[in-house]
Amino acid sequence: MRKILRIYKPFTHAGFLLAAQYRVNFIFFVFGDIIRCFISYFLWHAVFTSGGNNTFMGFSEVDMTVYIFISFLTGIVAYSDGSYIVGEEIRDGNIAMRLIKPIRFDLAFLFQELGERTVTAMIIFVPMMAGVEIYKFVVTGAVGFNIWCFLLYLVSLILSYLINFYFNVCYGYSAFVLKNLWGSNLLKECIVNFLSGGIVPLAFMPAGLGFVLNLLPFASLTYIPVMIYLGMYDVPTILMSLGLQVFWLVFFIFLQRIIWNACVRRMSVQGG
Amino acid sequence: MIYVENLRKEFKKVVKEPGLKGSIKSFFKPKNEIITAVDDISFHVPKGEILGFIGPNGAGKSTVIKMLTGILTPTSGKCEIGGQIPYKNRKNYVKEIGVVFGQRTQLWWDLALRETYTVLKEIYEVDDEQYKKRMAFLNEVLELDSFITSPVRTLSLGQRMRADIAASLLHSPKVLFLDEPTIGLDVVVKDNIRNAIKAINEEQQTTVILTTHDLQDVENLCDRIVMIDKGNKVFDGGIGELKSKYGQQRELKFVPTDFKAAESLDYKREFNLTDDDIIIENDGHIISVTFNSDKVSVEKMLSYTLSVTHVNDINVSDADIEEIIKDIYKSGVSPSA
Repeated sequence: MRKILRIYKPFTHAGFLLAAQYRVNFIFFVFGDIIRCFISYFLWHAVFTSGGNNTFMGFSEVDMTVYIFISFLTGIVAYSDGSYIVGEEIRDGNIAMRLIKPIRFDLAFLFQELGERTVTAMIIFVPMMAGVEIYKFVVTGAVGFNIWCFLLYLVSLILSYLINFYFNVCYGYSAFVLKNLWGSNLLKECIVNFLSGGIVPLAFMPAGLGFVLNLLPFASLTYIPVMIYLGMYDVPTILMSLGLQVFWLVFFIFLQRIIWNACVRRMSVQGG
Repeated sequence: MIYVENLRKEFKKVVKEPGLKGSIKSFFKPKNEIITAVDDISFHVPKGEILGFIGPNGAGKSTVIKMLTGILTPTSGKCEIGGQIPYKNRKNYVKEIGVVFGQRTQLWWDLALRETYTVLKEIYEVDDEQYKKRMAFLNEVLELDSFITSPVRTLSLGQRMRADIAASLLHSPKVLFLDEPTIGLDVVVKDNIRNAIKAINEEQQTTVILTTHDLQDVENLCDRIVMIDKGNKVFDGGIGELKSKYGQQRELKFVPTDFKAAESLDYKREFNLTDDDIIIENDGHIISVTFNSDKVSVEKMLSYTLSVTHVNDINVSDADIEEIIKDIYKSGVSPSA
């Protein structure tokens, strides 16, 4: 374990430097998404105002607002470029340059991305969190911050990132077959965003569908961490949800390894 | 050090029919065709040798290199390098080799060059003292000092290539693979790189396999060459051997004092030659005769020429390696030749 850390630590460092270099790019990117958040917020605001009810399927307006912003934050922090980068390296053949090094392909990517994620989190996490909590305080007049919910949220968030990473890497391997992933990537992001509760909380889905979606790996990406943060889950549900996340993480790690081993044997490197 | 036996690699290729209709058809019902990129190649390389791997574009050079470096798995056949089989236990094997693909880079595009070396140092578990020594040596032969703190994307192609070669050598590999290390470089930089490769080869008896289209590389560096064409080995041996085997072409050029006399020269009848063996060009001033020195010796050509006409100037030139290889590529020699 310590050896792994020593070998892959420089990747994290490199990822850190890379992200720092493109921070302006990143800020623009986030800025666009924040605008989307506010659109979502005003939409729900209109729903609550016109409905006349204080709660909608168990969500108050404050809950919904927090849900929108925290699910956005979760999505940004747990975002993984895996499918894009893996797909691109396969497409242009640069994967060859990874294969000539005595390293594990997945770990090199993972540690590099961890460095990038750290920068992202540093830029966006604290201000967003603070903003949401201040909003809650202003509207409800009480300090609603629960340190336990927050810590469990962090654990769930990290699991969410790792699942997302391995899921995306698995997906990226389809470039071995499809050769170019740009289009299918867009489709994937759309579907995943919906299934993970990034657009509408899964609690709003019809009971049967909601149950299935809760078990699918996508719920582990956004919905579970956000519900934990909101304090919507009781202790047994939290434990079960974290267990489910761990299960999906292990599942994707193994899936990734199986696909990788199968692909590497049949690989052809594109472009000379 | 390196043993390659009956190595073979086939690729499956989807055949697309032309046009939109063809694209749609092959989307639903792809037709596969099997392409043999490397067909039954064998050779072996002793430790410390520099082997040049040459052949026209698409001959299968890069495919062989990719199999030797463990990137591709051969369809059949064997290769063994330093007692290890590349595609089995890849992670362990690649610690022993260095690889440079001239058209790609292993450097971190957006980071200062130094950062790449720091990452590599950890990957290959090079200790601090060894790292310092190695960097000093690489600095000396490849002159990295002036750009080691610049981001890789700002380097010129020549600098990048030097940096890439250094990156492949940081862990003192036993075998170095260079796939077109001088591609796109100017004459001076090419020369620097050649000298560096020589120095590296001498320093630790590193075995070097290089592919190239630049025959100067071959003449200056290689102890031996293997030439492949269409996946087959067509030649294996030293440069002298190549010249004596294929380089029978000689060119005789002379300026006759008396043109009439010179025009009465009839080489074909005198030596019983066919059109394939001799080409005569006469531009009204210089007469040049290209002939096959296997069929008629240089001495006989000269004495016959001089017995018929007096000359102001005469010279016989050796066929240079470039010409030889051009001939071989064009005529596509059979593997047995």
